[in-house]
Amino acid sequence: MDQSAILEMRGVNKTFDKVTALSNVDFELKQNEILGLLGGNGAGKTTLMNILFGLYKMDSGKVLLNGQPVTITSPRDALQKGIGMVHQHFLQINNFTVIENIVLGSKVSRPLSADYRKEEEVVQKLCAQFGLEIDLSARIETLPMGTRQKVEILKALYRGVKVLILDEPTTNLIPQEVDSLFQTLKIMVKEGLSIVFITHKLREVLSVCDRISVLREGKNVISLTRKDASDDMLVRAMVGEGMDLEKSVIFTQEKMREQKTNRPIILKVKGVSKINPDKTQAITDIDFSIHEGEVFGVAGVAGNGQRDLAEVIMGIQAASSGSLYLGEDEITTADTKARISRGFVYIPEDRLADGFLNKVSVAYNLILGYHHLEPYSKNGIINWKNVKNSSKEMITEYSIKTTGPEEIGGNLSGGNIQRVMIARAFSQKSKLLIAHNLTRGLDIPSMDFVYKKVKEQAATGMASLVISEDLDELLLICDRIAVMYRGKIVGILSREKFEKYEIGRLMSGYEQSSEETGKGN
Amino acid sequence: MAQVKKFLPYFIAIIAAFLAAGIFIAALGFNPLKAYETIFSTSFRTPNGFIQTLIKWVPLTLLALAFTVPLSSGKFNIGAEGQMIVGGIGAAAVGILFPDLPPGLLVPLIILAGMLAGSLWGLISAWLLYQFNINEILTTVLLNFVSFALIDYVATGPWRDPAAGHPTTIAIGDNGFLPMLIQQPPLNIGVLLALVATILVYLYTNKTTAGYELVVTGANPRASKVHGINIRQMFLFSMVIGAALAGLSGAIEVSGTHHRLIEGLHSNFPTLGLIIGLIARGKNQAVPFVAFFIAILEVGASAMQRTLLIPVQVVLIMEALILIFILLSDLIRRRQK
Repeated sequence: MDQSAILEMRGVNKTFDKVTALSNVDFELKQNEILGLLGGNGAGKTTLMNILFGLYKMDSGKVLLNGQPVTITSPRDALQKGIGMVHQHFLQINNFTVIENIVLGSKVSRPLSADYRKEEEVVQKLCAQFGLEIDLSARIETLPMGTRQKVEILKALYRGVKVLILDEPTTNLIPQEVDSLFQTLKIMVKEGLSIVFITHKLREVLSVCDRISVLREGKNVISLTRKDASDDMLVRAMVGEGMDLEKSVIFTQEKMREQKTNRPIILKVKGVSKINPDKTQAITDIDFSIHEGEVFGVAGVAGNGQRDLAEVIMGIQAASSGSLYLGEDEITTADTKARISRGFVYIPEDRLADGFLNKVSVAYNLILGYHHLEPYSKNGIINWKNVKNSSKEMITEYSIKTTGPEEIGGNLSGGNIQRVMIARAFSQKSKLLIAHNLTRGLDIPSMDFVYKKVKEQAATGMASLVISEDLDELLLICDRIAVMYRGKIVGILSREKFEKYEIGRLMSGYEQSSEETGKGN
Repeated sequence: MAQVKKFLPYFIAIIAAFLAAGIFIAALGFNPLKAYETIFSTSFRTPNGFIQTLIKWVPLTLLALAFTVPLSSGKFNIGAEGQMIVGGIGAAAVGILFPDLPPGLLVPLIILAGMLAGSLWGLISAWLLYQFNINEILTTVLLNFVSFALIDYVATGPWRDPAAGHPTTIAIGDNGFLPMLIQQPPLNIGVLLALVATILVYLYTNKTTAGYELVVTGANPRASKVHGINIRQMFLFSMVIGAALAGLSGAIEVSGTHHRLIEGLHSNFPTLGLIIGLIARGKNQAVPFVAFFIAILEVGASAMQRTLLIPVQVVLIMEALILIFILLSDLIRRRQK
């Protein structure tokens, strides 16, 4: 392998307002390597790469390309210098074809027509060269996530990049697609590219990267080659000294769990369907039960009806048919407030739109939905003293970074808003937790804290419905996992049958295998 | 320190407005310093000046609250004008139809009739919003025009006072006059009613769960809905409460100020109410204070016209400038973030 550095960053500093995102960070990418840039949420990985791609300006530091100092002022500038980036959220136009998306924004041979035959030829060659199988005339919205990502990679290749940055590329992929992506990456480095792979997932780094750099809290921790790296080292580097790994949920393998399906049923969902106003089917014929103390996961590629399922169970949308039971009692027609009063708590997927109040104080936020329950209020009068005290306790217990209960919600960062969501939900004595993307935006110790909380509450008998796009998260904390595809539950697996590829297969809608899956409980 | 920082932009905005208006007054050929001296001293130099200010404060506060209470839930009530007029009609109707009831019964009945009539008028818009999701700005504004026709009908119809040269009804029964708080200069208990209304609004929005639901609905309706709050009901409630406050101010005008229904009794109060609500940035608690400040300007403006011959409209310009500068300061603050 060529050992010369193609790209270097030296002494990079970056602050946002008063928050230091990067302090004196060095970074080096060698020719023809896959470098894993590893770190938890808020470690500064994406910020560092956004600087390289010209999206942010650094406060101080320098960038060397092939040993020459350069300044990168914009993404266009970065592309001209041969640096491309694939973001976590794809920047694609849904109702355009693949080829249209690829040539968008570049010079084309016949600018006044929609004739891209010349460009198509070029792209076809690239596809062949890098082993990417994509139908160039397909419309983007019809493609699965894995293919859409390949389109994004192709877009960069078409612009002739030599360095490609991938930001958390495996987030929305099923395990099969992840394997295929890794294959592509390996071909790309063989063909002369160099790749930066941003991730927080240890196993991915170990399976595909040649070298690994770890960032934590905006600082370099270690850089090493894969053969020098070990699980333990990298974990330690990512989480720091403050976390007790022995007692963590994330890094300890759990022994077999007790079966919970013989315990009393808390929530029963029976034949529930929801038809959208435009007559499309949001969810179809959903059947499952969650038992006391059970953590029931719902896996699936985003947008397969998970959100509708959560909202129907919470009573935010009405079911078109079917029925819901809390224990023995039918609650199909109970409104959301009644369900909350009976012990439902909800952490919504879109925390900014569905969960948070920017314009009012943190205290207002911390009681939203539970404001009509004791100790926050009695006989319709709010007891602000109790609210304030509880708020202070929650702020401390969930390490919400804020000046106090009076601070305006809009001042909080994304991770802290998530902490507010979690604090609010767990502050209640609840029977049923419905959580959608529970740990989004949290760093590793905070994630671990949340998992511990879920387990604690489960131990007291709370049932949980945990919806997540992060399969690893579900495999870690769930007793059973249901897989959703196009609004249907296509399989429910119990813990001893958890298998990543099987779940991935179900997630992508392939025919179910006969043995492993059974409907209902 | 934090408090100073919070109020500094308002302070600067007000100073800037006065500077700008001063240029305007000077351009008209008057002495701005003298004009300002008159404006600010009138309310405090004589007891009468102060009482006049309080009398103006009553409708201004009520009509501003009629705007800000619905705004707390995120809805815009632009129909305080119509709600006030219809409230006045309701009050006058009771006062004319039952002149012989004892004062202890008639006065509360008139007040209640005014509030009820106003809130029914508001309920039309609120219900259209609740049931059919029809934009409340549109319906409240349109209903204002209907109310003009309505008061014209009442004041020129069977209850018309033939002796008056302006569309006016006959007087309500003496027993329906609002009791006086001070005889000379005259001040009726309307000011107490407005004060009580202000306090009740404060308690409602800050101390009750229903008020909490109102405020969070305004802050983020979708999140409120997700957390079990019936937001459409909140829209309805807040609109009706706002309309009732406007109706109350109509009733006070009828039974306290004019003792009859007069076409044009709303004066420019509803418009000023909107301006006050906006200067207070929709905060119910700030409304009475802003309203008092505007009442000082209004009373001072008439004095200024009398003694210095400066047109009253200068004060309207000033009020508009204060509003513009305050909105501007918001914009600047947002940009700086």
